[in-house]
Amino acid sequence: MAPRKSPRERQMLVLESVIALVFVLVACVELCDGATVVDVYRLIQYDISGAPFGSRLAGLNHHATSLHFSPHADLSRTVLLIPLREFNISFVKEYIAENKPLGGLLFLLPQIFNFENKGEVGSNHLDGTEELLKNVLAELEQILIRTNLPYPVYFAFEDDNINAVLADIKKSDITGQPATATTGGYKFVVSALEPKSLVSPSITNIQGWLTGLKAGDDAHQLPTIAIVASYDTFGAAPALSVGSDSNGSGVVALLEVARLFSLLYSNPKTRGQYNLLFGLTSGGPYNYNGTRKWLRSFDQRLRESIDYAICIDSIGSWENELWIHVSKPPENSYIKQIMEDFSSVAEELGFNVNLKHKKINISNPRVAWEHEQFSRLRVTAATLSELSAAPELLEKTGGLIDSRHFVDEKAIIRGVKLVAESLARHIYGHQGKNIQIFADNSNLAVNPYYIRSWLDVLSQTPRVAPFFSKDDPFVMALKKELEDHTDEVNLQREALDGMFTFYDSTSAKLNIYQVASVTFDLLLLLVLGSYLIVLFSFLVITTRGLDDLISLFRRPPSRKVKTA
Amino acid sequence: MTLFHFFNCAILTFGPHAVYYSATPLSEYDTLGTSIKAAVVYLATALVKLICLATFLKVSESDSFDPYQELLKALIGFIDVAGLYFALAQLTHRNISQNHKFQAVGLGWAFADSVLHRLAPLWVGARGLEFTWDYILQGLEANANLVLSISLAALGSLMWLRKNKPKTLIPIIYVCAGIVATMPSITSYLRRGLGWHFPKIVGFELFTSLVMAFISWQLFSACQRPSL
Repeated sequence: MAPRKSPRERQMLVLESVIALVFVLVACVELCDGATVVDVYRLIQYDISGAPFGSRLAGLNHHATSLHFSPHADLSRTVLLIPLREFNISFVKEYIAENKPLGGLLFLLPQIFNFENKGEVGSNHLDGTEELLKNVLAELEQILIRTNLPYPVYFAFEDDNINAVLADIKKSDITGQPATATTGGYKFVVSALEPKSLVSPSITNIQGWLTGLKAGDDAHQLPTIAIVASYDTFGAAPALSVGSDSNGSGVVALLEVARLFSLLYSNPKTRGQYNLLFGLTSGGPYNYNGTRKWLRSFDQRLRESIDYAICIDSIGSWENELWIHVSKPPENSYIKQIMEDFSSVAEELGFNVNLKHKKINISNPRVAWEHEQFSRLRVTAATLSELSAAPELLEKTGGLIDSRHFVDEKAIIRGVKLVAESLARHIYGHQGKNIQIFADNSNLAVNPYYIRSWLDVLSQTPRVAPFFSKDDPFVMALKKELEDHTDEVNLQREALDGMFTFYDSTSAKLNIYQVASVTFDLLLLLVLGSYLIVLFSFLVITTRGLDDLISLFRRPPSRKVKTA
Repeated sequence: MTLFHFFNCAILTFGPHAVYYSATPLSEYDTLGTSIKAAVVYLATALVKLICLATFLKVSESDSFDPYQELLKALIGFIDVAGLYFALAQLTHRNISQNHKFQAVGLGWAFADSVLHRLAPLWVGARGLEFTWDYILQGLEANANLVLSISLAALGSLMWLRKNKPKTLIPIIYVCAGIVATMPSITSYLRRGLGWHFPKIVGFELFTSLVMAFISWQLFSACQRPSL
């Protein structure tokens, strides 16, 4: 047995050491990959009725250049690295309008737009540069999402790594050597597959009820007040569209109002004679498509029982003026009443609420405000917003600029107070009386911590509806939160109407390689060749003598002479 | 382009071995067999070393310099010397002069070392897009290693194979062989203990290898004189 065992043991030993060797090699492989890796977010790619918009490519493998490139350079195989801080919009307009060939675009955004940035937030006192950056970025975003760009466009956030790369690229650009294959420089590589269109994007509406106190009769006899906010976003980079203001602020306000009224409705003594319907709708950027489907799913009786609906949209950054947008004439008795309720409460809180009437044009597919979907079905409704004018399609929908940094919690708290207080006065019939139901320091006070934590969650969650997976954790979280405060919560999943097609690969990893030029490699080859020749000659001379070396070169001709 | 860079680095790493073989009388006496045997002995030695390292050494959590562990590592490093002794003294070679034998063994030894330690990282790393000086430096290190291996083989052949050598030179030979054999530990100390960067270490290695080569050459010729 003993002699048999030893070869087997030896085999085991060999096997073990081979495995050890493989591990050593694997370790080496990981060490060798020294390239910089940056998170990048792709410009949205989508079609409206078949017409292509946005960035049409995802894969990238080009040299990088900065804005200091020489004017005659061919940029069709270069990535332009543009920091937002030094960027002028006319340049991009020129490049995009004239459809000049580019290898790709990479925009560097300041950290204030980063939703992962946990720095100082909520300051409403923006300095001039931030305001300027915001305006530039807003303009850029609108240009980008309305253009068909046949190359990859990415966004990244400034950090030390990429700033060092940018400084290096600028230096070589200023010295007049554009980065090409022969002069080295940096190579930007994003390995991504061809973007695929998303199959049947869906939108999910969430609704919850707080039923009023029945006076012996059927509950459906009670009138209903609906509070609605759209929660999804649309922006130039789907992975960055967190929409803190539009409409994260509205969602936060709705949740807080639901929480406050659930406290009141949990006690039969303070339960009102109104049903409250809370709706978190999706599809807001697409003409409030989700709201439309949600309303159409109601039966006629329910729709008629709705006294009025309050839609909350963008109430996160305002100073002392809010707007109530309606589509029925201001003389309408319901509108009058809503307006009276709101303006009296606003007066007590120390700001103004203005009414703005905008007629609906039924033949126009554009639905600018959420309440217009209600009005189209003859339900009285109004939108509470900080915006004085109706935004265009895909404008102010929670894009790149809409970060937590620019949203003020205090503004949201005032908005919540306004909505809750005026609703309560309407429900309990205290119109015109100066009674504070949700007074500070009472157990019904607006909870700033609740508002802050939900605002933070919303400001870190990109919410472009077509990119939500089925049973997305965020939608489930919203549902669960609404379940905590209201009853009969249910989800309604609908297909997004066919006008829009979206494409995937919204974020990627950008590898930045510092590459050597071909000339450097050629030079190195020359140096190495001469080194080897010198080494050869040296060795021959020291070991065999100079004559041998000379004879090495002489031999071939002498042979020829002999044969001749 | 990057394949080009790989090619360059490969020339730098493995070229000198080939040049050494073809330029010196080694090629004329057809000592390739000896080199191959030495390379096989190197592989076996490396295996034994690996097993010893795995058995006796703790995996250090930090990259710091631990004197005890390093001492152990240096001791295990002397297995190399044993391997070299085996290759020089025990393996039966065809009629081959001592003069060529140590060169052939040193060459095979260094070549096997380069292939084992440098070929795979080179293949994986130097073909990547990112340019670093590391692979060029690694090639230079391979050159230094070639010189050191041949020096060690020369000193070894003086120690074990030559009987009539001047008494006064014996301690010097042993000291020099000791220094050359502990070179890996010295460089490891410089890297970890003093925090030297790779270029500096390679420079140091090149310099010491040339110095050691010169010393061992002088010793070798000094020992050769009386026999002549």
